Amino acid sequence: MTWAERWATIERFLPQLWDGTLVTLQLVGLAVLIGLFFAIPLGLARASRHWYVRALPYSYIFFFRGTPLLLQLFLVYYGISQFEVVRKSFLWPYLREPYRCALITMTMHTSAYIAEILRGAIQAVPPGEVEAARALGMSRRQALQYIILPRAIRIGLPAYGNEVILMLKASAVVYTITMMDIMGVIRTINSRTYQYELFFFVAGVMYLIITLVFTQLFRLVERWLKVDASRQQR
Amino acid sequence: MTSPALEVRNLHKRYGDLEVLKGVDLIARDGDVISILGSSGSGKSTLLRCINLLENPHDGQILVAGEELKLKRARQGELVAADNRQINRLRARVGFVFQSFNLWPHMSILDNIIEAPRRVLGQSKAEAVEAAEAFLAKVGIADKRHAFPAQLSGGQQQRAAIARTLAMQPRVILFDEPTSALDPEMVQEVLSVIRTLADEGRTMLLVTHELGFARQVSSQVVFLHQGQVEEIGTPDQVFDNPGSERCRQFMSSHK
Repeated sequence: MTWAERWATIERFLPQLWDGTLVTLQLVGLAVLIGLFFAIPLGLARASRHWYVRALPYSYIFFFRGTPLLLQLFLVYYGISQFEVVRKSFLWPYLREPYRCALITMTMHTSAYIAEILRGAIQAVPPGEVEAARALGMSRRQALQYIILPRAIRIGLPAYGNEVILMLKASAVVYTITMMDIMGVIRTINSRTYQYELFFFVAGVMYLIITLVFTQLFRLVERWLKVDASRQQR
Repeated sequence: MTSPALEVRNLHKRYGDLEVLKGVDLIARDGDVISILGSSGSGKSTLLRCINLLENPHDGQILVAGEELKLKRARQGELVAADNRQINRLRARVGFVFQSFNLWPHMSILDNIIEAPRRVLGQSKAEAVEAAEAFLAKVGIADKRHAFPAQLSGGQQQRAAIARTLAMQPRVILFDEPTSALDPEMVQEVLSVIRTLADEGRTMLLVTHELGFARQVSSQVVFLHQGQVEEIGTPDQVFDNPGSERCRQFMSSHK
């Protein structure tokens, strides 16, 4: 097979590959954004001074970090349908869709990791900067809202970017519940063309390109938030 | 008679078994500049940090402009603020300048200064910016308002931190070794700002190792030793004729 023939084969499946890319991007994009939203209260509670406030997010994070994403996906997709209550409930039309199951699982999974990133970032804010806020008369809540969180977001941003890229690659498991993401599309194409090595190669290139785009995107966000300004330049 | 700007009565503080403050009394009337001297470990900084509850004392009373800070005993035995609104309100009136500046590095100098007046005093942005520019001009770094803290020298950062404190229009300002983290050539620029503030008649408490400076600007000098006020008086008294032997030794070893 010549390169021209290979390219012709790929070209034939470009529409499907594009659709798969969109599914992957949508899943990962939504999961890391909604995950961030849920991670903020989780991370704050995790950084609390009171053990009983820490306990709940701790258990949540322990479970989602301690078990494989694939297992969590199966638990949601095959597991909850075992309950009569769920099948009878108004949520069932939503929950039986593999797309929703994948999104819910990925969101819960990534929010556990983001919460840990946020906790670390909150605890990395230098105590003197918090003291300065309190000494100027800010309440605990004001100091959190105006000083600690904005500062923690900048500290945690590189780690968050890393988590997004990890989720991109982890999202490849959703084909197991019939999702037509990049991996799902590639496997379908493989079963029609038997060109395994060619299309796995294509899949690899696609993930690499998306990673490159994400990396550049986060570089822009870091510049926009002036993450560098927080580092001593002398 | 009006109440003093700041009054501390019988302040005690310990870390574990180590008693750092053993009953300190202090009165700052309006316009007083009080320097607190003493060797390291004498409790100078702890005293200052206890005044606005950055550290929690174990006993004593703190009054700002005659208003007593409401305290309650926490489980470990230290005193904590009993009324969160009151402590925030009083902290806003007692400025604090840190040894290590503690500017917020993710904000420009101007944003550092307008943040608390806007959030705590409820000033509008325009109002806060106008005031901030005046304070920046006063401390001599008006041209740095859009710079970030990391782009400034130590002396400039400390002057920005002083402007941040001034923007709250405090009744009293506490300086906790404001020049100790600076390179020698930057000490003077910060001291001259503090001198200007003293000349304006501001009420200040100053923990410092710059004895010559303390002598020049202070209306009163306090010598702390092992958590107690060992000597108190005018600069001339304390520097030239200390009653206590320890104070005499300290002064002669720092000439």
